[in-house]
Amino acid sequence: MVDNHETDERPLLETTAADRTGGDQPMNLALEDVSYGVDGTEILTEISLALESGEIMTIIGPSGAGKTTLLRLAALFEQPTGGTIRYDGTDPWALSRDDRLVIRRRIGMVFQQASLFDAPVARNVDIGRRVRWSWPRRVRAFLERLLPRQFTGSPAVDERTLEALELVGLRDAWDRDPASLSGGEAQRVSFARALAAAPEVLVLDEPTSDLDPRNTAILERAIERSRERDHGVLLATHDMHQAERISDRVAFLLEGELVEVGPPGQVFNNPRDERTARFVRGDLLYDDNELPA
Amino acid sequence: MPFEPIAEPNYLRSVIRVSLTVSLTAIFVSTLVSLPIAFLIGFADFRGKRLVTAIINTGMGFPSVAVGLFVLLFISTDGPLGSLDLVYTPEAMIISQCILAAPVITGVALSAVESVDDAVRDTAYGVGGTRTDVALITLKEARYGVITGILAGFGRAISEVGSVLIVGGNIAYADGTSKTRTITTAITFETRRGEFETALALGAVLIALVLLVNGIVMRLGGR
Repeated sequence: MVDNHETDERPLLETTAADRTGGDQPMNLALEDVSYGVDGTEILTEISLALESGEIMTIIGPSGAGKTTLLRLAALFEQPTGGTIRYDGTDPWALSRDDRLVIRRRIGMVFQQASLFDAPVARNVDIGRRVRWSWPRRVRAFLERLLPRQFTGSPAVDERTLEALELVGLRDAWDRDPASLSGGEAQRVSFARALAAAPEVLVLDEPTSDLDPRNTAILERAIERSRERDHGVLLATHDMHQAERISDRVAFLLEGELVEVGPPGQVFNNPRDERTARFVRGDLLYDDNELPA
Repeated sequence: MPFEPIAEPNYLRSVIRVSLTVSLTAIFVSTLVSLPIAFLIGFADFRGKRLVTAIINTGMGFPSVAVGLFVLLFISTDGPLGSLDLVYTPEAMIISQCILAAPVITGVALSAVESVDDAVRDTAYGVGGTRTDVALITLKEARYGVITGILAGFGRAISEVGSVLIVGGNIAYADGTSKTRTITTAITFETRRGEFETALALGAVLIALVLLVNGIVMRLGGR
């Protein structure tokens, strides 16, 4: 497998998902009867779904339904205990670690809690690109950082990093310390970090759960711009309005089982499964709609 | 009243030089050994990990005289390393300080690596990092703790007296300069023979060194 990422330094907005593969087709994700369990406890049961390029699929479901596990499987953090995950028809877990890495590097993941490294914002954002560099290039970059910039001629921050930050409205924050960022800004930096590596599939685990409406709107716009560039987006959220606003399809997950997948209009207004209807109404968890004492 | 030096300057300089040479060399060697061990234990998940960690933590409190005795048995003529003729040499002192400092460096560095949030490792993996990248990024996050461990090891090495006295012998050359006499053993020696001014001057140097190291540790710890 060929990793095109190391040498590709084109501006983010000029690269589509198809450019990354070097072919005509951007990367598609398919889960085929995927199950996952730990110590005999099944967390996901025979999940089958497909994410097309240029599609935003939202995973909804109560806490503990297995949303995060599903996303971690999709982002190849964990290996399924049953079934198959396929990217462009290839099972990454049937490949060598190096070949699987090539696929992993076409996926971007954003977690619920922003986890920024103890380094300026720009270095947080460009880490995904730096890990793709060859070792000689890394050593050269390290040595250049030890010298005053006027000797090396290298810019303080490269345009690709600024562009990723601009997509989340933080272009001017490139030299800030992560400790000085608000929670919303930190999450936007996390998102910029995923975008900077130009992934073809974005896996987002409740990225706006702790954000105010303004920060949420900025991230949703960035997600939609990823879709415009043909990236597939798999997003877990508890925000039903968000799911309705930005999704092309919504998948309802309950107790590790995929109950229903469909367009937002169907899932929220005319669900085919009674359990989906009850969840959307907000009365799935408690019999007779009573809250626990 | 004319100024009277408290001791021969060459003597003081040689004692400080031997101390720093032995301790810095010991720290360099034990850092090379300790950090990979700390990182391997910190990143690996294996049966008996808690036991290994407990042994390392116990090593942080090794009595220095016992270590000195142990090293002396090893390097003495009848010991396994007897042929190297290391008794009463700076090299023997380096070995004993290595044994004393290594558990300190390993223990503190291990604790620093383990205290790095799992989210950092997940993030490093999620941006497309290899296992090496994940390890390097985790180490970078733990860097202040790792440096603190090295400095704490240096503090332990430079201020210990028992083992260097046993394996080094507190020897000075005929011209009065130090062969295996360190600041700590010189303080013991000078006090015993009533040269309190010299002992106090050496004590001040030692305290200044330890204060400097602790200041750096506190500064790093306060980040």
